[in-house]
Amino acid sequence: MSMLYVLIALALALLVLAVWALFWAIGNRQFDDLESQGWSVVLDDDQKPPQSNASNDEVSKPTKEAPP
Amino acid sequence: MATAERICYHCGESVPADADLRIELQGQFQFMCCQGCLAVASLITDAGLSNYYRHRQQVAAKANEHAVDAAAAWQTIDQRQELWGVESANGDRDLLLQVSDIRCVACAWLIRSHLEKQPGIIAVQVDVNSGFCRFQWAPDTTRVSEIAKRLFGLGYTPHLPLAQAEEDGRHKERTDSLKRLSVAGLGMMQVMMYAVGLYAGDAFGISAAARGFLSWVSLLVCLPVLLYSGRVFFQGAWRGLRSGKPGMDLPVALAIALAFLASSYHFFLGVGEVWFDSVVMFIFFLSLGRHAELILRQRNLQAGSALARLLPEWANRLADQDRVEVVPASDLRSGDRVRVMTSAAFPADGVLLRGQTEVDESLLTGESLAIGKSVGGAVIAGSINLQQSVDLRVSSNPEDSTVSSLGRLLLSAQARRNDDAGLPGWLVPWFIVVVLCIAMAAWWYWLGHDASRAFAVALAVLVASCPCALSLALPVVRSSASLSLMQQGILLTRPSALFDLLKIKAVVFDKTGTLTLGQPVLVKVEINAERPEFKRDEVLGLAAAMESHSRHAVAQAFREFVPTSGLVEVVNHDGAGLSAQFGNQPLRLGKQKFALDTDDHSVLEDHSLWLADDKGWIARFELNDALRPGAEAMMKQLRTNRLELSICSGDSEMAVSQCARKLAIDSYQSRQTPEDKIEYIKELQSKGTVLMVGDGINDAPVLAAADVSIAVHGASELANSAADIILTGTSLASVTRSMTAARKARKLVNQNLTWALLYNLSILPLAVSGLLQPWMAALGMSASSLLVVLNATRMRSITTADIEPTSSATAAWAQS
Repeated sequence: MSMLYVLIALALALLVLAVWALFWAIGNRQFDDLESQGWSVVLDDDQKPPQSNASNDEVSKPTKEAPP
Repeated sequence: MATAERICYHCGESVPADADLRIELQGQFQFMCCQGCLAVASLITDAGLSNYYRHRQQVAAKANEHAVDAAAAWQTIDQRQELWGVESANGDRDLLLQVSDIRCVACAWLIRSHLEKQPGIIAVQVDVNSGFCRFQWAPDTTRVSEIAKRLFGLGYTPHLPLAQAEEDGRHKERTDSLKRLSVAGLGMMQVMMYAVGLYAGDAFGISAAARGFLSWVSLLVCLPVLLYSGRVFFQGAWRGLRSGKPGMDLPVALAIALAFLASSYHFFLGVGEVWFDSVVMFIFFLSLGRHAELILRQRNLQAGSALARLLPEWANRLADQDRVEVVPASDLRSGDRVRVMTSAAFPADGVLLRGQTEVDESLLTGESLAIGKSVGGAVIAGSINLQQSVDLRVSSNPEDSTVSSLGRLLLSAQARRNDDAGLPGWLVPWFIVVVLCIAMAAWWYWLGHDASRAFAVALAVLVASCPCALSLALPVVRSSASLSLMQQGILLTRPSALFDLLKIKAVVFDKTGTLTLGQPVLVKVEINAERPEFKRDEVLGLAAAMESHSRHAVAQAFREFVPTSGLVEVVNHDGAGLSAQFGNQPLRLGKQKFALDTDDHSVLEDHSLWLADDKGWIARFELNDALRPGAEAMMKQLRTNRLELSICSGDSEMAVSQCARKLAIDSYQSRQTPEDKIEYIKELQSKGTVLMVGDGINDAPVLAAADVSIAVHGASELANSAADIILTGTSLASVTRSMTAARKARKLVNQNLTWALLYNLSILPLAVSGLLQPWMAALGMSASSLLVVLNATRMRSITTADIEPTSSATAAWAQS
């Protein structure tokens, strides 16, 4: 029967941990957007710029801003 | 190349035949419709973000060709620190911008991926549903205008950061509610686990020590749940008591408090039952319901910032020597001079200083015809400048403008209408009084017979009659009804409005845009019998050719006809009509007075257009505002329900009476201001509940003032935010369909209430007689709740019988 005391104490510790984790997640806006994170798996895939590589990617952008 | 119609790869619009813009994407050439789309698409592909095109669920909005100018205007924000967002401890700013044209998760990904790579932007968060984007940025590395420029570059339009405080407040409300819900949920799981042990112990035997320990742990978990998640109910009950209007929170708080106190009392006494599981379960289910309602309400409120969106955000203010400077429209002050371009909205109320034009006030006043304005004429903010650019002297500060006062009218009307969610109002006090009386009676009876059990029995009565199924009876039907109606293109923004529909005695309709589509259509062409040389096709061709030079709404009626070529010197005569030369023939098209060039006052002003040359009239075109589909069928249906029908419109007597005659409605009011309409509704309300159906900005306060309100498809955002029910399909048949659904929902609610009451009433004698075992009560409570929930799901199978396909409209709404 003494096992019960240990297990329940453990359950309570886990409960406190779970509440803390949930509060942290809610506070960090983890629940604000439940959709797009799942999609980023597909979207962030592999595509690299066809003609430029990742390093000059950053530099090239501002020049593209203004259409001729 | 010129085989089939070419579609722009970016925005899906057709590519003009003379355009030759394309982009190479994954080895294939894709066509672009304009420089704007080309710039956006090449930015996206060059940045390595072309996955956007592969995975997007909707095509993008057509890129704004003036994006560079629009982005430049944002540089004025760089000097204004109060618009930089909230400052955090390390000097970073947290800026919230509402961004237009975010349509699906791919858009959100695009914005996030592109902007997070920019120097000085630390983190980006995008909410697809509301369009709110949150940027964490460093003021020493980048500027607000830089963020705006990037967004414009991707083809999106950011709006001025005006609603940050409101949205932050809503966000806090939302997260607080979610925290309360999660604490209650986690606590419930724990306490239920211990409760299983206790109930099993009742059935199969348990040691006193183990029972005491389990009860003690239950108390330990229950207490924080009660104090944290249950606090709102106590606060609500206290507020209700203090204001003398006890609401649904009072019985809830009473039940929670009594059950908890009784359980604690029993626990410390060491005899009797504990009901900590009931307490946390009750708190959890109530929090769940409250949270769902909050989310629904907030989604509705986010449209509330639509008020600012009615007015242009930027204004072209004229400085010294007529130099144009672009400033936020909220900066305009009375006396400023402003230039307003063609087809732009006026940023403030004012008086014309230069130019002549026509304005469209249909959304503001319900007037369906464009109104001519010349120097000295007063214009209202939010109306649209139709013909040419004009200068304006601002006559009132933006916060005092007509639109803003409409907004205030709306807020006050909304505040007057209270919405007590949950059990039907009459049932709550009745039920509570009865339960309290029975509990008191039981206590008094047992005091005389077995004083030691008196308190236990009285509390058993209170807990056994815990109105779990009863409190679920209505909300579950309501949410399942909202869901099934949403699939039919009917959105309930205030769920209890569904049941209010059953009480209505009178229905008031707006005309322009509600009963009619707000677009003139050609109903009849009459050719002058004395001029048989003209054929129907000829006159239509001539009229179409002339009207193609007009921006007037009437011109739309002729758009479907092939215009005759060869017209020269087409002149637009300020609202009266058009003149042109065809061969050596002078032609005039317009109101009868103008076309025939007479001053004859017996001439009737109507919606007809006359075509004439110098020998007299040739043809008469009878125009009419097209009725919305389903309008006639709906009126018939409503009449069989013996409802008092009337039309209340801001449009002219002539137009309203015509519409009323067509729909066989005897009672109509024309030239009504929003205040008049509210007055009219109040008058009707003295006789019974009133339903208002409308669409315009001017209808918003009226919609809020009516007991129940419906905004039709295509209504202004402000009207939508004021309405209880929003139709996402064009047909008016949805009005009667929601009434049918309401009747069915009412039937299910009655079944549920009957069952729940029967359960609670039959369990009462058992509790009073002291026979009730806790596990029986637990089983009974769960079973009765389950039955209530299952019964509510029948709502879907009942209402799907008479569906018409509106799913695409619903999907479009859900994405916007």
